[in-house]
Amino acid sequence: MKRIIKLTINGKTIEAAVSSNQTLLQFLREDMDLTGTKHGCGLGDCGACTVILDGKAVNSCLVLAVQADGSEILTIEGLAEDGKLHPLQQAFVDKGAIQCGFCTPGMILSAKALLDEKPNPSELEIRTAISGNLCRCTGYQKIVEAIGEAAEVVRMREES
Amino acid sequence: MSDYQVLNTRAPRVDGPAKATGQAKYTDDFKIPGMLYASILQSPVAHARILHIDASKARKLTGVKAVVTAREAGLIKYGVSPARYDETLFAHDKVRYVGDEIAAVAASDQDIAQEALSLIKVDYEELPAVFDMFEAMKEGAPQIHDEFPGNMNAEVHQEFGDTEAALRSCDLVVDHTFINKRQDAAFIEPHSCLAVFDHSGRLTLYTSTQVPHYVMRTVAMTLQIPVGNVRVIKPYVGGGFGPKCEATPLEMSCGLLSKVTGQPVKMTYSREQVFLHSRARHQFYAEMSLGVMKDGTMVALKNKAVLDGGAYTSFGIATVYYSGSLLGGPYKLKTMKYDGYRVYTNKPACGAQRGHGGVAHRACFEQLIDMTAEKLGIDPIDMRLKNIMTTGDITVNELDMSSLGMKECIEAIRSGSDWNNKKGKLPKGKGIGMACGFFVSGAGYPIYRSDTYHSTVVIKLSEDGGVANVMTGSAEIGQGSDTTMAMIAAETLGIKLKDVQVHSGDTDYSVDLGAYSSRQTLMTGHATKEAAEQVKSQIASHLSEELNVPVSSITFADGIVKFDGGPGNFEKLRSSYIKEHRGWMDPPTGEYLTFREAARMAYLKAGTIVGTGKYKPPRLGGSYKGAAVGTSPAYGCSAQIVEVTVDLETGQITIDRMTDAHDCGLAINRTSVEGQMQGSLSMGLGECLFEEVKFDSRGRVLNPSLGEYKIPTALDMPKVKSIIVESSEPNGPYGAKEVGEGAIMPTIPAILNAIYDATGVRVNELPATSERLFMALKDKSEAV
Amino acid sequence: MLLPKFDYHEPATLEDALRLLSEMGGNARIVAGGTDLLVRMKLKVEKPSHLISLRKIPRINVIIQRENHGVSIGAAVTAGELSTNELIMERFTPIGLAAARLGAPGIRNRATIGGNLVNARPAADLSPACMVLNASLKLKRSKNEREVPVNDFFRGPGETLIEPNEMLVSIFVETPPPWSGGAYIKLGSRKTLEISMVNVAVLLTLQSQNGPIVDAKIALGAVAPTPVRAFAAEEFLIGRQPSAKLFSEAGAIGVGMCEPITDHRGTMEYRCLMIETLTSRALNQAYQDAMTWKPLPV
Ligand SMILES: Cc1cc2nc3c(=O)[nH]c(=O)nc-3n(C[C@H](O)[C@H](O)[C@H](O)COP(=O)(O)OP(=O)(O)OC[C@H]3O[C@@H](n4cnc5c(N)ncnc54)[C@H](O)[C@@H]3O)c2cc1C
Ligand code: FES
Ligand code: FES
Repeated sequence: MKRIIKLTINGKTIEAAVSSNQTLLQFLREDMDLTGTKHGCGLGDCGACTVILDGKAVNSCLVLAVQADGSEILTIEGLAEDGKLHPLQQAFVDKGAIQCGFCTPGMILSAKALLDEKPNPSELEIRTAISGNLCRCTGYQKIVEAIGEAAEVVRMREES
Repeated sequence: MSDYQVLNTRAPRVDGPAKATGQAKYTDDFKIPGMLYASILQSPVAHARILHIDASKARKLTGVKAVVTAREAGLIKYGVSPARYDETLFAHDKVRYVGDEIAAVAASDQDIAQEALSLIKVDYEELPAVFDMFEAMKEGAPQIHDEFPGNMNAEVHQEFGDTEAALRSCDLVVDHTFINKRQDAAFIEPHSCLAVFDHSGRLTLYTSTQVPHYVMRTVAMTLQIPVGNVRVIKPYVGGGFGPKCEATPLEMSCGLLSKVTGQPVKMTYSREQVFLHSRARHQFYAEMSLGVMKDGTMVALKNKAVLDGGAYTSFGIATVYYSGSLLGGPYKLKTMKYDGYRVYTNKPACGAQRGHGGVAHRACFEQLIDMTAEKLGIDPIDMRLKNIMTTGDITVNELDMSSLGMKECIEAIRSGSDWNNKKGKLPKGKGIGMACGFFVSGAGYPIYRSDTYHSTVVIKLSEDGGVANVMTGSAEIGQGSDTTMAMIAAETLGIKLKDVQVHSGDTDYSVDLGAYSSRQTLMTGHATKEAAEQVKSQIASHLSEELNVPVSSITFADGIVKFDGGPGNFEKLRSSYIKEHRGWMDPPTGEYLTFREAARMAYLKAGTIVGTGKYKPPRLGGSYKGAAVGTSPAYGCSAQIVEVTVDLETGQITIDRMTDAHDCGLAINRTSVEGQMQGSLSMGLGECLFEEVKFDSRGRVLNPSLGEYKIPTALDMPKVKSIIVESSEPNGPYGAKEVGEGAIMPTIPAILNAIYDATGVRVNELPATSERLFMALKDKSEAV
Repeated sequence: MLLPKFDYHEPATLEDALRLLSEMGGNARIVAGGTDLLVRMKLKVEKPSHLISLRKIPRINVIIQRENHGVSIGAAVTAGELSTNELIMERFTPIGLAAARLGAPGIRNRATIGGNLVNARPAADLSPACMVLNASLKLKRSKNEREVPVNDFFRGPGETLIEPNEMLVSIFVETPPPWSGGAYIKLGSRKTLEISMVNVAVLLTLQSQNGPIVDAKIALGAVAPTPVRAFAAEEFLIGRQPSAKLFSEAGAIGVGMCEPITDHRGTMEYRCLMIETLTSRALNQAYQDAMTWKPLPV
């Protein structure tokens, strides 16, 4: 049985028919062609599918598309503005926080949710915020550094 | 620091922006019109005879386009090493582990493909199974392959010098045994493949692999398609670490199903299937004796290995050789004896994983050195330094350490961690430990016996001269090889990094054996450098002709061409370039001729400017049986110090700090080198403390998920201090060599040595869980 | 990983939800955060034909302070919310601490307290925390409602007193008396994303800042088919003057209440030993917390 949902994805309002058993992850990847959101496990274990749903980082593999009706969603594709990388994206690139890149979209979105709530996070807060995003490549160090640096950039931008 | 313009910097990765924005495409991100979805039927039982397969119901299901079994696929045997081809795409007579492939289905959507699998009826006659490697070696154990009696998949016996006699002559002989657990590589991207068989009989595979070249060969062989008609394209890959180093049933099934249906076919493994396919780190049992003199001089090493291989060979032959050969260094030994056994069991096959074959034995050996040092009353660092090899040394098993900054690594971590003020001075429950290791920088020989080049590279300039296109079959899997090749090409051509574009991971571009054995920086790097040199010399000779200057007066750097170090007289080139490109927004400017103008002029004279490079190592190693495994044109090495806190009341271990030094020769990209070092440490930490693939009594994986198979999270990793040590490797391009795997070697023993320092307990079985350590602490205190 | 097919309902009122639930009975499941149910459905352990969502039901996801005597936590309040709510952290500390240890941030942003309790996993984080606070669960069905003490709620792994046509709507917790303090400790292998091998929640109430213990509640998870209270240890503590020695004796008594199993996460023997250690640790922490009790700013 299909249901019509209406939601905002990366600032665009969208109406779509979805099956009740479709996850938000499937909907984004398969129906919306937003393949930046990754599928690593489907069980909430890896965080590769992280998106921001109404301001909160969530594992989109454990959210039904129908449950996102009326919500606002930010995926990795919606982060850069006017073709310019978001400070988090820029810091990830500059600091070497990306290797294979498969964890990167989820990682960046978890970090984004953190910075939205805590513009000046401690290292422990950064590590906690990404503790559900597994990365097998980097050992996390450069990711933690990148988030710290991005936080500073964002803060400076807000101040000026 | 260095004279290089591009090399040795912290240039951001060339693929960074694509990956940071979600634009980078991985295999599962592709969708083609008309694409079918495939799924594989896997055995639910560990060991059984297949009596009958009835797929008729599945075939009749609406939406099912094809069902293939051994009948359709044929019985061509394949594997990694031609010496042990022991697999067929689908099981026909027997299944040998829970997960063995039986059939594959292509359907119009995933739901239907899944449903079709449930309609295939297989009659099994269950056979007794064996899951433990020691049980499998016993007389009367169930036989897994008829061709390999006693379940003995491979045996290695090597001896250099008279080890027994040497041990008798030693002042002290210390023994140690050690066992690790089967690992999973736990890359975050599950295997995925999209196959397109077109009307001209050509098969294109888009696949998540480390080795497009080997996949091309294996798929061509098993599907009986001329190898020239198979093209393998590797999109971005979400990590490999070893298990993506061979052709998978997923790739062959997609290829076959596309051939049968004439439609594109895609399949992606579930996380559980990644565990079932496995091909990751073996379980190793190590038994060692080290003989030394009173002053700490190492004399003899006796090493025995038993490997639980699972049901098939995969990379296993190489693995069982590596467990011996990789102990030849970095310490001087006079004699060494090795006996290795790889055993079949009814479990998923094990293969290569970061630090191939060496990690568990290195862990045992480096603990043994600490144990010996303690008995002799020598500081573990001094003990190692006393025996350390240096550049130019050749190991007892004839591996040539053409550069070796091992001593520098040890000294760097000793001061970097403040070892002298900590060792022996920490309170109870806190400990510090160290270890070393080394690894090949590219296997000396291809997996199949051949005189093939290990790498060829083509560099083609764009017609305007502005972009150098590097075309290579090498595999960017996250380690940063595209960036490395771009940097080498830019440096060699004397242009800016942004003016290089790398096109990689496609068997149509060039020959490259792929991303394994830490080979690409050295081997693909050599070929890239040679191709760039060729391009440069073509341009130089055209310039010399055109401007009537000697070739020797021309230099290229940073996008600029100089003549005898000055601007020279190039006005006519500039004005004709500008004329040709009227209306373009970026005319060449400045007081020097640009590379772009020079390259354009060369094109006008000679057509498209193309340079090709190639690399294959010289003949390496000794002439004894198995001498090839472990040979390499160069060796990277590393040393680590780990500091831990052990909660003595629970056994919980916290890694407080890690100090790591690695000799990678010239660090092409300093950020990437640190990234490899830090990633290696986290994988080593996981294997040491948490990771274990567990089985139930019927051979089913108990924890086939990233929730229950535990890799480190951001909260488990400490701050790491990474120190890059740069020797100059004569056999590496610009003196560069590996970092991707060697860096994992010391991690486990450094942690275990630190735990011993903190508690007085030797952990000789992984993972070092809180329970294992706590119980050992308890036994120890009860024994006193 | 595909979900089996089902019909999805998103009732706008509690009444509608309860009506749907009673009509569909055993074929329906409530979906709150879905972090447990959807996993089980993907693994084909459960195959309900209807899912009833709590999303649209008013006030089911809020925390309401009841004067000064307690708090009512809506069943759909998430672990993330609980772990960052100051009142919960301050006065209902074990719940706050346990919520902060559940899963990882993305999971906490979805996982609800109701789902955690109804799920009734022996290792669940919030169950022991609710037990030491003597929480009372409001269960509703179409025609009537009842209150069940959380301490009577659990019956076995995945089994509770809740009927298929009942919904857990809220959890009421009375504010612990002055000079109370709480603690929650979880033992797993990683520092996060862990299912507990053993967990302990404690609530300790002192007569005064330095006074003897007037009340003690200890609950243990992952040590028996349901989370359990360590009654003997609690009784032992009451009336005594707190000390590290007393707490370690209480820890030893705590072990008596448990019948842990050996599974691939840990052996029975180790779990028993850890119950002792962690109980005594948690008591020490709760004691520290109690001694620093302060009236809430008005
Ligand atoms: C990666 C991961 C990590 C996890 N880590 C932890 C952990 O550390 N500790 C822990 O305790 N748990 C953990 N969990 C399990 C799960 O997240 C929690 O149990 C969570 O609290 C469940 O809440 P939910 O809202 O998601 O439940 P749902 O999945 O929505 O529901 C769970 C069950 O409860 C029923 N239910 C839900 N709400 C109600 C209600 N109001 N009335 C009646 N029935 C109801 C549902 O029908 C279903 O049967 C983890 C899960 C995942 C995927
Ligand atoms: S895919 Fe959602 S958490 Fe792994
Ligand atoms: S960069 Fe590969 S998983 Fe994080």
